[in-house]
Amino acid sequence: MSTLITLFLKFSAFSLIAFGGVNALLPVLLELAVHQEHWLDLQTFSDYFAIAQAAPGPNFMTVTLIGWHVSGLLGAFMATFAIIWPAGILVFFLQRFILKMQDPMKKKVVQYAAATLAIGLVLSSALEIALQINHDLMAYLLSGLTIAIVLLTRWHPLYLIALGALLGGLGFI
Amino acid sequence: MKTLTPLQLFIGFSRIGLSGFGGVLPWARRTIVEEEKWLSSEEFSAMLGICQIVPGPNVTNLAVCVGSRFCGVTGAIAAVLGLSLGPICIVILLALLYNHFRDLESVRGILRGISAVGVGLIASTGFKMLKDEFHYPPSLLVVVVVMIAASFFHLGLGWVVLLASPVAFFLAWHKAKR
Repeated sequence: MSTLITLFLKFSAFSLIAFGGVNALLPVLLELAVHQEHWLDLQTFSDYFAIAQAAPGPNFMTVTLIGWHVSGLLGAFMATFAIIWPAGILVFFLQRFILKMQDPMKKKVVQYAAATLAIGLVLSSALEIALQINHDLMAYLLSGLTIAIVLLTRWHPLYLIALGALLGGLGFI
Repeated sequence: MKTLTPLQLFIGFSRIGLSGFGGVLPWARRTIVEEEKWLSSEEFSAMLGICQIVPGPNVTNLAVCVGSRFCGVTGAIAAVLGLSLGPICIVILLALLYNHFRDLESVRGILRGISAVGVGLIASTGFKMLKDEFHYPPSLLVVVVVMIAASFFHLGLGWVVLLASPVAFFLAWHKAKR
C-alpha cells in the first residue's frame, strides 16, 4: 500500500513539472522507477516504453504500465490518474484566464517562453532515454534514421514503428 | 453556443484516443475541427496553444479544455475518461501478452527495434519544434540552457524549469516586442 501512495504522490508532482508533455518526463520517470525505488529493471522499463509506443492512445501509457507493474489494475489507474489530475486542474482554471487575457503582448511572451522550454526538455529527454535504452550502434542508427524520415518525409509514425519491429524481429537491432 | 452532452464528449474522445498511433494530437484536430465541427480551427489552435504551455500530458489537458468548454466539470471528466479508458485497456492487454512472451528472442528484438524508433520519434518532435525557433535565433539559448542543465548536470526537471524560465521569459519578451 505504501508503494502505491509513493507512486501516486510522485507521479502527481511529476504532472506539474512535465513541460513539453509526458515525453519530456521519461528520464525522470526512469530514474525514479528503476534507480531509486527499484520498482522494475531497466530492461522492463524500456520494453514498457516500446509497448506504449506501439499501442494506440496518448503517449503517457509508459506511466500506466509502470503503475500496472507495481500494483496491477489498481496501480495502472492510480498512476494514470496521478499524471493527469494536477495539470488538468491547472489548465481548467488557466484557460479561462488566458483566453480572456486582453494584452496580446503578454499572451505572446507566455507562449514563446513555454515553447522554448518545451523544446529543450523534449530534446534532452530524447537524448537521456537514448543513452539508457539504446544498446548498440545499430539502435542509434535506427533512431537517427527515424529522425531523418520524420523530418524529410510525410510517413505515418505507424510505418516507422512497424519498420522498427521488423528490423528488431529479424535480429538487426 | 453549441452544447454537447457528457456522453457525446466521451464517445468523441474515445474515438480520438483509439485512433492515435504515434501521438493523438493530429487526430484530435481532425475529429474536433474537421469531422464533428465542435470548434473552429482558430478556437482549436488557441486552446491547443494553452494546453502545450501548461505542464502535464498535453492531450489530457486538451480534453479538459474542450470538455469544460461545452459541459463544465462533468464534460472535462467525460472527455478525459473517453480519451484514456480504451487505450489503457489495450495497453494492459499488450502487457499481459508481453509477460507470456517476453523471453522469446524475436520478441526481445521487436521491442528493441520499437524502442529505438520511439526515441527517434521523440527527438524528431523536438527538432520539428526547433525549426520554428530559427526565426529568432537568440531563443535557441533557452534550449541550450535546458539541455546543459538536464543532460550535462542531471538536475531534476523542477530545477531545470526554474533555472531556464527567467532566460526563457526574457528572450520571449524581446521576441514579442519586435
